[in-house]
Amino acid sequence: MDSSGASRRRFLEASGGTLGFAWLAANWPQVAAAAQHAHAASLADDADRTRFLVLSAEQARDVEAIAAQIVPGGRTPGAREAAAVYFIDHVHAGPWAAGAKDFLAGLADFQAKCARHHPGVAQFADLDADDQLAYLRHVERTPFFEQMRFLTVLGLLASPHYGGNANKAGWKLVGFVDQHAWQPPFGYYDAGYEGFKPYATPAVKGSQS
Amino acid sequence: VSARRFAPGETVDFVVVGSGAAGGVIARQLARAGLGVVVLEQGPRYTAADFRHDEFDYWFNLGLSNKLDTNPQTFRPSASETAQRVRDFPAAWYAPSVGGSSNHFTGNFWRFHEVDFDERSRLGPIAGTTFADWPLTYAELEPYYTQVEWEVGVSGLAGASPFDPPRSKPYPMPPLPVKSSGVLLERGARKLGLHPFPAPMAINSVPFNDRPACAHCGFCIGYGCEMQAKASTLYTMIPEAEATGRCEVRPRSYGSRIETNAAGRATGVAYFDADKREHFQKARGVVVSANGAESPRLLLMSANAKFPDGLANSSGMLGCNLMFNTYTDVHALFEHELNEFKSVQVTRIVHDWYDTDPKRGFYGGGGLDGRSGPMPAVWGAFASQGERRWGAGLKSLLEAMPRAMVVATHGTSLPLMTNRIDLDPDLKDAWGLPAMRVTYRDHPDDLAFASFLQDRAIEILHAAGALDAWKVPITPAAGSPHLLGTARMGNDPRSSVVDRYHRTHDVRNLFVCDGSSFVTSGRGQPTMTIMALAFRAGEHIARFARRGEI
Repeated sequence: MDSSGASRRRFLEASGGTLGFAWLAANWPQVAAAAQHAHAASLADDADRTRFLVLSAEQARDVEAIAAQIVPGGRTPGAREAAAVYFIDHVHAGPWAAGAKDFLAGLADFQAKCARHHPGVAQFADLDADDQLAYLRHVERTPFFEQMRFLTVLGLLASPHYGGNANKAGWKLVGFVDQHAWQPPFGYYDAGYEGFKPYATPAVKGSQS
Repeated sequence: VSARRFAPGETVDFVVVGSGAAGGVIARQLARAGLGVVVLEQGPRYTAADFRHDEFDYWFNLGLSNKLDTNPQTFRPSASETAQRVRDFPAAWYAPSVGGSSNHFTGNFWRFHEVDFDERSRLGPIAGTTFADWPLTYAELEPYYTQVEWEVGVSGLAGASPFDPPRSKPYPMPPLPVKSSGVLLERGARKLGLHPFPAPMAINSVPFNDRPACAHCGFCIGYGCEMQAKASTLYTMIPEAEATGRCEVRPRSYGSRIETNAAGRATGVAYFDADKREHFQKARGVVVSANGAESPRLLLMSANAKFPDGLANSSGMLGCNLMFNTYTDVHALFEHELNEFKSVQVTRIVHDWYDTDPKRGFYGGGGLDGRSGPMPAVWGAFASQGERRWGAGLKSLLEAMPRAMVVATHGTSLPLMTNRIDLDPDLKDAWGLPAMRVTYRDHPDDLAFASFLQDRAIEILHAAGALDAWKVPITPAAGSPHLLGTARMGNDPRSSVVDRYHRTHDVRNLFVCDGSSFVTSGRGQPTMTIMALAFRAGEHIARFARRGEI
C-alpha cells in the first residue's frame, strides 16, 4: 500500500470533517452541540484499571493469558496491551453482572481441567506459550472458550469507558477513528468513482436466475 | 402552536398506541385532519443530544432496545417445544421510544414492487403456507410512497434501477455519496451483467425540511441520529403532529388493555405511566401501531367475555403469519482501504433477483446491498469465522478491517400459521402482564433463497477483485427487527384481521396499522411500506371519523 498516499488521504479527510463541522456549527448550532456530545461520550476513557471488581488476581492472570492468545500482541498491540481483561472484569460487575456467576463457573472448570492436563503447573498463565496454544486448541469448541473469544473481541473494540481498549489500542489496531463528521472520499475505491452511469435499455424483470 | 395537553377524563377522537414509523405518521395525519389525538408511547422521549456513539451499550447492552429484564420474551422454534426465556438479545427487537424503531433503523427505503402485492396470483398457492395476495395494489399505494419520500424525506435516484416500479415523482434529494463498498458492489455486479443502482435511503443527502444533511459519522444501524439527518418520526412526523395543537404525545405510557362496551366498540386504552400508575384514556376510536409483535400482544391481552380469544381475533389469525425476512452477511477483504466505518451503511444495491424464479426450485426473492460491518466490535465478533476465529488468524483479520466490507442478503419469508406471537402462559413482565412468546421456524424455501443470494454475493465480490470472500453460516432465525404479518390485511374476515383500510373486521372503531398489516414479507426492507400504509390509513381513518363511520 502507498503509505504516503494513505496519510495524505487521512489528512484531507480529517480537515474535510473539521471544515464540515464548522459549517454545521454556524448553520445548526443545536445539532452541532448534539453531535459533539455523541462523539465525546463515546471517547471518554474514564475506566479505573487499578483494581478488579469480580476476578481475583489469580483468575485475572488466566483470563488475561487466554485473551492474549485469542488476540496476540507482537508488532501491534493485542488483547493484553489493550487491557481487555479489565473489560471482562468490569462488565461482569456492571452491565452483565447477571452473567458473572456462569462466567466464573466456566473459568473454574477451565482451570480445573487445565490443572489435570498439566499436573504440577500452578495455572494456565504459567504454561509456556506453545503449551497454552496447544491447550486452547484442545478446548476451542467449548462454550467457555467461545465466550472468552467474544469477550476478548469486545474488550479490544468496545469504548475505553468499559475498561478495555486502553489508549484506544483496539481501535488503532482495526483502523477505526471515531470522528463526528467525515466527508468523501471515504476510501480508496470511491475516490476515483466517475459517477453512476444509467442503463441504456431496461432490464427484463426476472431474467436473472 | 405548542403541543396539546388533554385533561384527564376527556374523551379524545383517537388514541394511537405507538409513535414509530406507523404511529408517528398516523398521529400526524389525524391531527392535520382536525382530529384530537393522544399518542401512548411505551418508551422515553429522547432528544438528539441523548444519542451516543456507544457500540457496546447499543449493540450488546440493549441501550436503545426493548429490555429483557422488565419486558421479557420467550422463544421456541415450534409449538411442540416449551418456549425458553430469551437472555441476550430480543427475539422481537425494537426501539421503545418516541419515534420507535425509526430511531435505530438503517434507513433502507426500497419501495415494494408490483409483484409484492399479487405474487400469489402470479405463482399460485404454496402448500402448507398462507401465501396470499394483498387487498391492494402497488398502484393504489404509489401516491403514499411518494408522500413518504417528500414529507418524511428520502434520498435516491429515480429511474436508476431498471427493476423499479412506476413512480409519479422523482426523489426530493440526490443519493448519498457513494462509499467504497458501493463502488465495489457496483463494479462486480456490472461485470456480471447485473444492474446495481444507488440505494434509496431515509437519510438527508442535502439539507431538507429544516433538518441538516448527513455528516457521515457512520452510526446509523442500531443508533439514534444526533444529526437529525436520519428521518425518524421523532424528528419528522411527531413535531408536525404536535404543531397542529391537536396532538399530545405521552412517553413512558405503556398500553395494557383496550376496553370495549356492550355494543362491541372500543372505548379507550388502559395504560401504565412511568410510575406504574394505571390510567384510562377514553377515545372515540383506537389505532394500534405498536409494531408487529406488540400490536397483536396488546389485542390478545384485551380479551374479554365478548371477545374471548382476543380483540379482533374472530379469524384466529391474530398473532399468526409472523415474518422476519431473511438477512445474512457475506464478508470480503480487498487490497486497498475502504474505511467502511464512515458514512451511512448502504450506498448501492442489486435487485436482479427481486422476483421469484420457479426454475430455481424454491420460492423467494430479494436483494443484495454493499455495506459496512457495521462497526468494530460487531464486525470483529461476527466476521471472525473458521481460521479467523482466534490467534494469528483473528489478529490479521482485525488489522484488515479498513480493507473489509460486507454484502448483506435480504430475502422473503413465507407466511406460516405456526410462526406467531402470543402470550406466554407462565412468564409475566414487570407490570404483571403476560410476556410475549415468539414461535418461529424459517420455511425451507426462505433459507434456500438466502443461500442462493449468498452464492451470488460471493460471485459479485470476486468479480470486484476481492482478495478473499466468505459467508457467515446460515442458521435458523431466532429473532428479527422486522416484525411482519401478525394482523394481516384482507377482504375476507375469515382469513384476515383488518380490512384494506386497516379497520379490524370485528370492531368498527378499532384500527391496526404497522408491520403486522403485511400479507407478504416483501424483500427485506419493510419500513418504507409501513410508512406508506400509515399515510394511506391516516387519510382513510380521518375520512371515516369525519363521516361518523367509526
